[in-house]
Amino acid sequence: MAKIFVISKDEEFKSLASKFSSESRFIDYNNKDTFDFIEEIKNFRPDIIIVDSAYDSYENFIKLGKTASNDENIQMVLALHDEDKNIDCMSYVDGIIKFPIDEDILKTILNSHMKTKRSFDKLADNNKELSKSLYQINALYNTSSQFAGTLNKDDLCNIMLEGLNRILSFDIASVLILGQNKSAVLHINSLCEISKTLMHALKMRLTLKYNNSFEDEKIPFEVDFRKIKIVEKTKPSSNIYDLKILNYNTLFAPIKVGDNFFGVIEIIKKEPFSSEDVTCFQTIVHQVALPLRSATLYEEIKETNIKLEKLEKIKSEFVSVVSHELRTPLTPINNSLEIVLSGQAGEISDDTKNFINMAKRNVIRLSGIIEDLLDLSRVQTGKLEYKFKKMNIKPSIDLVCQTFKQSAQEKNINFEENIEDDLGEYYIDNRRIEQILSNIISNALKFTSEKGYIKVTTKKNARPDDRLVSPVKILDNNYLKISIEDSGVGIKEEDIPKIFDKFSQVESSLARNTGGIGLGLTITKQLLDTHFGLVSVESEKDKGSVFNIYIPNYSQEINFRMELNKTILKAPNLGLIYIRQEKDCNFIQKLEEKNIIKKTQNSMEITIPQGNYEHYFIYIPRLEDSALNFIQTNIEQEIKNLKTNSENCNILLETATKTDMKKLESIIGTLDELGDKNE
Amino acid sequence: MSKKILIVDDERDIVETLAFMLKQKGYECIAAYDGEEGLKLAKEEAPDLIILDVMMPKINGYKICRLLKFDTKYKEIPIIMVTARGQAQDIQIGEETGADEYITKPFEFNELFDTVQKYVGE
Repeated sequence: MAKIFVISKDEEFKSLASKFSSESRFIDYNNKDTFDFIEEIKNFRPDIIIVDSAYDSYENFIKLGKTASNDENIQMVLALHDEDKNIDCMSYVDGIIKFPIDEDILKTILNSHMKTKRSFDKLADNNKELSKSLYQINALYNTSSQFAGTLNKDDLCNIMLEGLNRILSFDIASVLILGQNKSAVLHINSLCEISKTLMHALKMRLTLKYNNSFEDEKIPFEVDFRKIKIVEKTKPSSNIYDLKILNYNTLFAPIKVGDNFFGVIEIIKKEPFSSEDVTCFQTIVHQVALPLRSATLYEEIKETNIKLEKLEKIKSEFVSVVSHELRTPLTPINNSLEIVLSGQAGEISDDTKNFINMAKRNVIRLSGIIEDLLDLSRVQTGKLEYKFKKMNIKPSIDLVCQTFKQSAQEKNINFEENIEDDLGEYYIDNRRIEQILSNIISNALKFTSEKGYIKVTTKKNARPDDRLVSPVKILDNNYLKISIEDSGVGIKEEDIPKIFDKFSQVESSLARNTGGIGLGLTITKQLLDTHFGLVSVESEKDKGSVFNIYIPNYSQEINFRMELNKTILKAPNLGLIYIRQEKDCNFIQKLEEKNIIKKTQNSMEITIPQGNYEHYFIYIPRLEDSALNFIQTNIEQEIKNLKTNSENCNILLETATKTDMKKLESIIGTLDELGDKNE
Repeated sequence: MSKKILIVDDERDIVETLAFMLKQKGYECIAAYDGEEGLKLAKEEAPDLIILDVMMPKINGYKICRLLKFDTKYKEIPIIMVTARGQAQDIQIGEETGADEYITKPFEFNELFDTVQKYVGE
């Protein structure tokens, strides 16, 4: 039976209507106006409103009915007296009944309207449920997509709690996230402030629940109650939660992937949880576990890395200290031998002389090994000093060849030199170049047996093997190539990539061939890197090896680069264009305007070194597609301009990534060609 | 007749000093400077004792030792292994290959000489 509200003066009709309703109200013309009607409808909440068309201003009641009740589904029925009456509020009416009223018809009509009302109500309820689910799904989706964005445990935990709050609107959520060495972090998010006892209780409760979740099994990560750090997030409010809240509804779950535990979570809520709530809760908790695992692994890796770095540093320092200590006693040994040998300490026989010489030779060898160790640790700790100068490289090559020629003759090895006369000037540290050559030639000598040969050849304007990748794009691709060929034991193909690694000879343990500890080539490679040089190795087992050293023809930019590296390291987002003349500043400005180079917030100064440079260093940071067009039209022109304006200038172009360089090349044509065209 | 000792080591300086000292003590010394030659001389010259280095070109000392000790013809020749590899694990490998003694570098000549005498003393 329905709740019916009747607006009529017809007493007979009113009593008839009340017969078919569970509860009915009537309105009296004299003391009720529309305002009272609204109040009454709100309180009474009828299912059906019947308005008598004989009633004064009955149309107002019809129009107001649905709004007043705040119920879209309320059924408005108009009781019509006169068929011809022109009714302009028909669109507000759900049904019509005509006077004279037949009892059966009224009953049927009321029943059918009641059914309609109930169906609509149910539909509305379902809609509400649906939109709630939709909201939850949305929140779930949002939360899970946020998980992917971070590898920080605290952030992950916060994202999870915010997501859960949006979906479940909890009163309190507490999460225990396991850390290392029995430590843990307890995150507490609460709607109100919480009392100290409650805080303590939550901490205790979660730890216990965590321990209990393993029942009789062994707990994989024990948690020390004293090592729990609390992160509390409460909303300031007048109300304070105390222990009573623990009587509310709770949801609890472990956070885990397979057998890996990352923590536990519990949420407390006054209202009961629906089955959807539980599903959502489980989904989110399940989803946070995977990123938590990654975060844990990430933390471990980071820690290991720090440890390794420390270890590496300690090792380098250790090597350095030990080598110094080893060097000290060698000096008096050498001196004593020197004294005995000179005959100052008494006459010596030929045999004695022979053995003392042998001792001396080995002291020198030991010093060499110690020097190598020291050099390596200097190179690795960046303590090696370089003195770069523009100088002729030939004297250095000659000097090294001269030194080894004699040793080669002693070993009955043919030492052949094929060195061009005018090799030209290079920007080098001659002592390091000599060291590089000595290391490689002494290796050749070491591994070549009697009647073999060693050949040193130079070639100007050489192009290195395509497989060799220079860290710097050198436009003219112009190098001096020094080849050292020998007929020695050769290197197995699979070993070639390893020979520049530290202690590579030691690793190959038993198959020892000759002295040395395998540091020479490591040092050589590092020294060559500093010169922006390259090295390639061709070798065949038992036939011999060829080491090709490439030293860039330019090298003044090494200076630039060192300067630039310092600056770029400070502000990695900033691109630099190294320029020579003042007018070139316009170029920078243009690039800035087009957003090709950006100044970061930590603004930095571009220092333009003074002096008449022959080289340009253009560094382009991240290339964005929008910038490519601009570069196409401008850089090409600019490079051409630079080339025509100054003779013999070299341009070095560098981009942040290889792909960017490829893009650039495809636009400008190969940069090498560009250089050639203008020369 | 004086006893014959074969020294196998790729370090010429070591061979030379050892040979000099052993000759002073009345032994006859022959030398090989790599594994292959060492094995050849061991078989051809039938020495009374072999002083054998481990890390050598061509054939390493462990292998030579094993080849000799598993050959009935040569297994009676005492072998003293001399090496810079002094880890317990290396010594164990040396013993497993059947070497009679294992001496680590650097060693005092007297220590080696005592060991030599143990096997080929007068």
